[in-house]
Amino acid sequence: MAYNHHPSYSDNPLWSDITPIPLDEGPGPGPALASIAYSPRYSTAMSYLRAVMASNEYSERALSLTGDVISMNPAHYTVWLYRAKIIREMGKEIHEELAWLEGVSRKSLKNYQIWHHRQTLMSSLPSPPATEAEFLTKILSLDSKNYHVWTYRQWLVSHFNLFDSPTELAAVETLLREDVRNNSAWNHRWFLCFGKDELESGQRAKGGGGVVVVVDEDLVDREVAFAQDKILLAPQNQSPWNYLRGLYRKAGRSLADLRSFAEQFAATQGGHDDDDDDDDDNDDEHEAAPVEREREREQELDLEEGVRSSHALDLLADIYAAIGEREKARKVLEVLGRRWDPVRKGYWDYKAGLLLDDEDEDEEKKEEEEKGIKAVPEGGQGVAVA
Amino acid sequence: MAEVIPSIFSIPLHFTRPPSVHDELTTQTSVAQQDTIAECLPFLTSAEDASQSPFDFNEHGVPRLDRQGHIDFLHGSLREFPAAFVAVDASRPWMVYWALMGLYLLGEDVTCYRERVIKTFAPMQNASGGFGGGHGQYSHLAGTYAVVLSLALVGGERAYSLIDRENMWKWLGRLKKANGGFEVCEGGEVDVRGAYCAMVIIVLLNLPFELPSPIHTKVGTLSTFQQGLEDYLAKCQTLEGGISGGPGNEAHGAYAFCAIACLCLMNEPQIALRSLDLPSLLSWLSSRQYAPEGGFAGRTNKLVDGCYSHWVGGCWPLIEGFLYGPRTALNRPTDRMLRSLYSNEGLTRYILSCCQARTGGLRDKPSKSADSYHTCYTLAGLSSVQHVHFYVHQDASISSSTHPFRWRSLPLCDLVSSSAAGVYDKQDTLQPLHPLFVIPHDAAQRLRNWSEGQSTGWTVIDQT
Ligand SMILES: [Zn+2]
Ligand SMILES: [Zn+2]
Repeated sequence: MAYNHHPSYSDNPLWSDITPIPLDEGPGPGPALASIAYSPRYSTAMSYLRAVMASNEYSERALSLTGDVISMNPAHYTVWLYRAKIIREMGKEIHEELAWLEGVSRKSLKNYQIWHHRQTLMSSLPSPPATEAEFLTKILSLDSKNYHVWTYRQWLVSHFNLFDSPTELAAVETLLREDVRNNSAWNHRWFLCFGKDELESGQRAKGGGGVVVVVDEDLVDREVAFAQDKILLAPQNQSPWNYLRGLYRKAGRSLADLRSFAEQFAATQGGHDDDDDDDDDNDDEHEAAPVEREREREQELDLEEGVRSSHALDLLADIYAAIGEREKARKVLEVLGRRWDPVRKGYWDYKAGLLLDDEDEDEEKKEEEEKGIKAVPEGGQGVAVA
Repeated sequence: MAEVIPSIFSIPLHFTRPPSVHDELTTQTSVAQQDTIAECLPFLTSAEDASQSPFDFNEHGVPRLDRQGHIDFLHGSLREFPAAFVAVDASRPWMVYWALMGLYLLGEDVTCYRERVIKTFAPMQNASGGFGGGHGQYSHLAGTYAVVLSLALVGGERAYSLIDRENMWKWLGRLKKANGGFEVCEGGEVDVRGAYCAMVIIVLLNLPFELPSPIHTKVGTLSTFQQGLEDYLAKCQTLEGGISGGPGNEAHGAYAFCAIACLCLMNEPQIALRSLDLPSLLSWLSSRQYAPEGGFAGRTNKLVDGCYSHWVGGCWPLIEGFLYGPRTALNRPTDRMLRSLYSNEGLTRYILSCCQARTGGLRDKPSKSADSYHTCYTLAGLSSVQHVHFYVHQDASISSSTHPFRWRSLPLCDLVSSSAAGVYDKQDTLQPLHPLFVIPHDAAQRLRNWSEGQSTGWTVIDQT
């Protein structure tokens, strides 16, 4: 194509019918704010772009012009949207556009317009190209937590119903094998497991006496075991802890079931055997461990020297509160604020304050705050809780 | 670790050394985190460095605010950029907003920019409503938000009347989607940022809540901007309790602020967050703060960054408003409201020790260079730790009774002793900002007052 190399517009017969619209920097005296000393090439291309956009021209030359501007400034959202319109109006071959886009994507990874453009293109296809998963793997290998890439991937999964695709789950497992702390991969794993229902019904990971959520218990068991395995690899990694809590919230399970699992990360190092009694990721173990075993564990707890995960302590505080052992919960929150996670002391103190509220009915004010979410009728305006 | 020589400065130990709990397993994430700690520690502890002048630090071992350096940097960011900055060609409204907002926080009078602000934005407005990122660019919610806030910052009838409110309303109507959310521009993505920007514009400009034309969906008809929005935002709360850019995406600090602020624009704070699971939201939000760095990270297992001082830090006053409810007294916060749910001290240390660039301006972290985006939002975070924000029932001093305008703020150092207020010097206190609009309270109020005096009698059309 003649206009692909160093396109010139002003002396090109192909563009002679167009009157370029120069940049308007506004009326009145003084320079405009945060202006840019554009290169002549960019200024010229933009003034032709304004002109073809103003007349809604959808043509081969306009398409080429958008490519030229994108090569100079891929962060220009308007050019991308106009390009998408041209593709649609002209009925251009989507696969050709995707091939062009791949080159641009490698050059400017952080640019989100690329991913929205890709989404627009894909949405006109009956199914995604077979190479799409491979392409995403390649891109994520360069920047494994890129928010726009993951957002696009989640759109792709929902649009083409790929929730049960073995390729998707395998891609997540590979990423978590490479870096078990990749929270974006954990989030995508959740999306594959529960995203379909959550998108359709609007059910979120919201628990606490709300709507009863029907979940596949076997799936939850599988995911609980997966998260626990990953916690054992690096107990101070918050991602699988959040995942585990999310599962329990979603399935409405009692956190008390996690007591022995969590306590192993707050016990004297020599005092327990990792391979033996801590295997709570067994698929059939839903009930809390026998009382005797729990007592043994209490003996082993060492909140001063034996802590290998502050997230385990956080969970234990909630577990103790849930089973009515408020003094233990308070002790855990105190040591979190003093020793293991002191930067969050304000939050740990707040949680300890909630324990007091549970005990003391007289502190009605705080009580109301806790229940405030449900106490206020839907659509209520200006109802004061206090 | 070597013995630490007793210092004249009191820096709590957890801001001077790596965390107490540490895993042996090494991955890309843990390497990046170790590197960040290693990069920040010398800045956090530089008061104890014998080669530094002790006069550069206050008694808490925290460097002073380089007010003049930041002011110069921001004025500079409003001048002409060289050709290499072409990437900001679609973000010029933002460049203006960040600079004006930062300058205001630092105590500068920004009204001197009024005429040039009007001149700069005039060609960016489209006849079909809204502002683009530049002349000849499609209208975009992010750019329009930055334009409206900048016009509010410089203030005045001439600035306000630049905005074509009727076509703004019609354009916003075209962005509202059947799922309750908003597209950021026609044909653009739908995300939480769009919803927040739209609600800010609607409230500040006193636009009708009715849609210019109703949206007929499978489950019913949407006839107002708010309908479906609370449900849409609730769907963005993730398994972690945080809030994502759209349903199914990963929880992220910037989207959390947009969603929470959007909910607080729709309803009074004590009911605004009723559709969210609060315990998990609090847990996730609190987890965003790390030590020794003291700053906030945007996502789980990501690194601290100065700009989250606002995105994450800005969520806290709104959540506290939800927890503690409105004040019946006119303007006094309660003792409980003075106790923060996050570490004011940690955030202040991170901002003043790690984010101030030697040549002026503020930055993501020591290895990054300053820019006006990070300068604006890092300063906004510092302002937030220096003030207590609260919500009042009624206030005779205001003409508008609309709830988003009933937020008040007071400097902490006026309420408690300066040592209890924080680890910054009193003279380093910044101006307060409105926790929802992220501009001064009176700038928001004045634009709203002006808008209430304008027409809203536009016709709703149902084309079905
Ligand atoms: Zn099980
Ligand atoms: Zn940043």
